[in-house]
Amino acid sequence: MSETPILQVERLSKSFRGLAAIADVSFAIAPGSITSIIGPNGAGKSTLFNLVTGYLVPTAGEVTFRGRRITRLATNRIAELGIARAFQIARPFRELSVSENVRIGALFGKTGPRDVAATTARGMALASIAHLADEPANSLTVGQLRHLEIARAIATRADLLLADEPCAGLNPTETAAMIDVLRQIRASGVTVVLVEHDMPSVMEVSDRILVLDAGRLIADGPPQAVSQDAKVIAAYLGTPDE
Amino acid sequence: MTRTSSLMLLTVAAALLLAALPLVLPPFYVRVGQLMLYSAGLGVAWAILGGFAGYASFGHAAFIGVGAFSAGLVETRLGGVPPALLLPIGIVVGGACCGVLSALIAYPVLRLRGTFFAIAMLGVSNVCAELTNNVDFFEGSLGLTFPSVVPAGLDPAIFFYELFLVASLAVLLIAWKIRDSRFGAGLLSIREDEDTARMLGVPTERYKRTAFVVSAILTGTLGVIYGHSLGYITTDSVYRNDTNLNLIVYSLLGGMGTLFGPVIGAFSLVFITQVILGRLLDFHLFATGLLLAFLVLAAPGGVIGLVRGWRQRRRRSGAAPAE
Repeated sequence: MSETPILQVERLSKSFRGLAAIADVSFAIAPGSITSIIGPNGAGKSTLFNLVTGYLVPTAGEVTFRGRRITRLATNRIAELGIARAFQIARPFRELSVSENVRIGALFGKTGPRDVAATTARGMALASIAHLADEPANSLTVGQLRHLEIARAIATRADLLLADEPCAGLNPTETAAMIDVLRQIRASGVTVVLVEHDMPSVMEVSDRILVLDAGRLIADGPPQAVSQDAKVIAAYLGTPDE
Repeated sequence: MTRTSSLMLLTVAAALLLAALPLVLPPFYVRVGQLMLYSAGLGVAWAILGGFAGYASFGHAAFIGVGAFSAGLVETRLGGVPPALLLPIGIVVGGACCGVLSALIAYPVLRLRGTFFAIAMLGVSNVCAELTNNVDFFEGSLGLTFPSVVPAGLDPAIFFYELFLVASLAVLLIAWKIRDSRFGAGLLSIREDEDTARMLGVPTERYKRTAFVVSAILTGTLGVIYGHSLGYITTDSVYRNDTNLNLIVYSLLGGMGTLFGPVIGAFSLVFITQVILGRLLDFHLFATGLLLAFLVLAAPGGVIGLVRGWRQRRRRSGAAPAE
């Protein structure tokens, strides 16, 4: 990789009472890319996000963001450096409106000068929910909640977005809209790392795919190459029924 | 005019009206007014942590007691100091002691959430009360007499009424400033979902501790004035478990998490218990419990929640196309 990676994970491991959830995983993410992490349930995808965002402390290994070690930093300090996360199960501030939710992201997140109103508006526009600004978060559909989750994360002015299954539970139209949003976010200069199960979406949007199985990285490469990898087919994709 | 400016103007007008009321009210109602203003101030101070950040304390009477006793103990030892200086000194001492106590206990108690935090604070309140009662230095069982700070020629009831008005207004303005700040938005996000707030960059631990200390200092300051207004305090008169309960009821009644909810709640509850049920001795405790149960079931958003709900329904019905 010629460019300096925005995120570097080196020999990362995490065990829970001796059970390895992540085992010796290393990879680097290029700035401006969309990378998907796939794998069967329990492969360690969300654990990996938890380790990068400081929600969990690794048993071994290092995480480096823009050349700075973030391995044992508090979650809020990592957000201040420019990493945002959208959760697998949307966690909106239910008593607040859409714009108030996004405004919290704009008020905090990455340190530096901020124009809260403009950042809030930009976050909602990028996630295509500007028309819902005054709606209470507890009145949104599942699809709209996922867009809110993305808008709030983007409003932190993050350089790296970790999106945990943004297409889960969405119908084909909503999935297409979400992919469009992710592309726009990348076009705005934000690097995106996805955890996703929806393979057509992954194949369509990703520059690169990492495959985890039982906590280990078993494949890493462009979508076409990974989809034909024998280990990936055996562990996750399977063979199509003839 | 913005909504905030209108509210500010309304608050100033209400404060001026309240300041003039003792001139026309009979003495009994001046005493009730004192209690209303004191309770409103306490309710707002409690809400900085309990309402804004969602950490409902069931032991804030600890800070009333610590504030009152620490101020009383210092003031009674300052023989040569003019009375006009005693109250400010007492407020500084009482506020500082509550600040130190809350800063010391913040780390362990704020690691707990929900019911566990509430019960831990009840424990703190009871431990403080027991120490005050059983350690001779604190004079809690015998009682502590405050030196008089009322200027000559002034009716003490009116003096303390006005003092509670100024103090509670100051607490309200501080809470207002907090709620409209970045810090306030951070507290709100902690109340809604602490883990998500942290993920967005909110320094949740620092914010919770700051809110706790500010809330404790303001509560302690009101406790100092309360001690002076009583003139003589014992452990039982300041470390009151009904106060611990009432502070929650004020926010529930007026609107949990809102700025004016505790004020509405405190005014209503004091009026109901002191004026309407005043002749029924301890029946007001029963009434408070009944009201609490009713509110949790029927109006969890309190008075402000009911008004907001009514407004939303009205807006929706106004927006609906005519048939």
